[in-house]
Amino acid sequence: MIKQNIIANTALSSPIASASFLNPQGKKWRKTLAADLLLTALIDAFSILVIFLLMNFSSNGEILFMSKDMELPKAAQGEILERNPVIKVEEGKIFLEEKMLTAEGLIAELIEMRKAFKSTHPAGEEMPATITVQADRRTKYEALNQIVLACAHAGFSDLKFAILMK
Amino acid sequence: MSQNKKHLDFELNLIPFIDLLSTCICFLLLTAVWINVGSMNVKQAVGGQPASETVKKPILWVFLGDKGEMTLETRDAQSMPANMRKLKLAGADGKTNWIQLASQLDLMKKTEPELKTALIQPRAQTSYEDIIDLMDQFKKSGLGDLGVVPL
Repeated sequence: MIKQNIIANTALSSPIASASFLNPQGKKWRKTLAADLLLTALIDAFSILVIFLLMNFSSNGEILFMSKDMELPKAAQGEILERNPVIKVEEGKIFLEEKMLTAEGLIAELIEMRKAFKSTHPAGEEMPATITVQADRRTKYEALNQIVLACAHAGFSDLKFAILMK
Repeated sequence: MSQNKKHLDFELNLIPFIDLLSTCICFLLLTAVWINVGSMNVKQAVGGQPASETVKKPILWVFLGDKGEMTLETRDAQSMPANMRKLKLAGADGKTNWIQLASQLDLMKKTEPELKTALIQPRAQTSYEDIIDLMDQFKKSGLGDLGVVPL
């Protein structure tokens, strides 16, 4: 006979069970319904899922916003990407933090960014000279050259080219 | 006897445990980052220090050509033999010959262990992917300080 436990009670008095055309209220079906509820396997599966998802968990979150047409190049020797100002090249257009600019406008905007940082940090702290560059893997160097030159003009010496880790 | 057995077998309430696991799964699924984005770090020369004041370190200049061709030129490398200072590597099927490049870089590192800097001079039509692949290979071969030369 079925033991009077919580699982058996929950299963037998549930709305699904009472509505079933198999008529679980009958003595014959009561036995079958309680025996089929093997929660150990479900908990095993859940635990494996939680472990897998925890291993993939990243506290950094998504740093870059990528459109569906953009494919980053792949590399094995890359380093962890940190949050820095992002310059993006998309379809020949240059964006600084999602703001579309010309090559000349980019230099002015980068210099302005440095000034704004200095004014908000009166202790004389310098803005880190780091910029993240995001571009499609098929982008030609003539488009990236404008960014390299603009960064050099504005005093940003550390360029971090965004890649996908192999 | 049977009463003792009843005391030993207690029912563990699994419902809250399942609830907790389901909540964890939902949270982790929503916050999961599926694309592993990294960065290839490049240090560019900015501003000017007089050339006479800078300590001369061996630098490998890489000039990219057509169809995977490239020229490797080592400057300020004292222990590098003259025949190894300028090398031209041919491409393989219109692409870079990675095996030849890797073996050449290994040989250069053995001859000049202080060689840690490489400057890449791409052409206007060189793709971003090719530049990153090259940087990846240099890092693998122990040349960690990389730079790209503007056109």
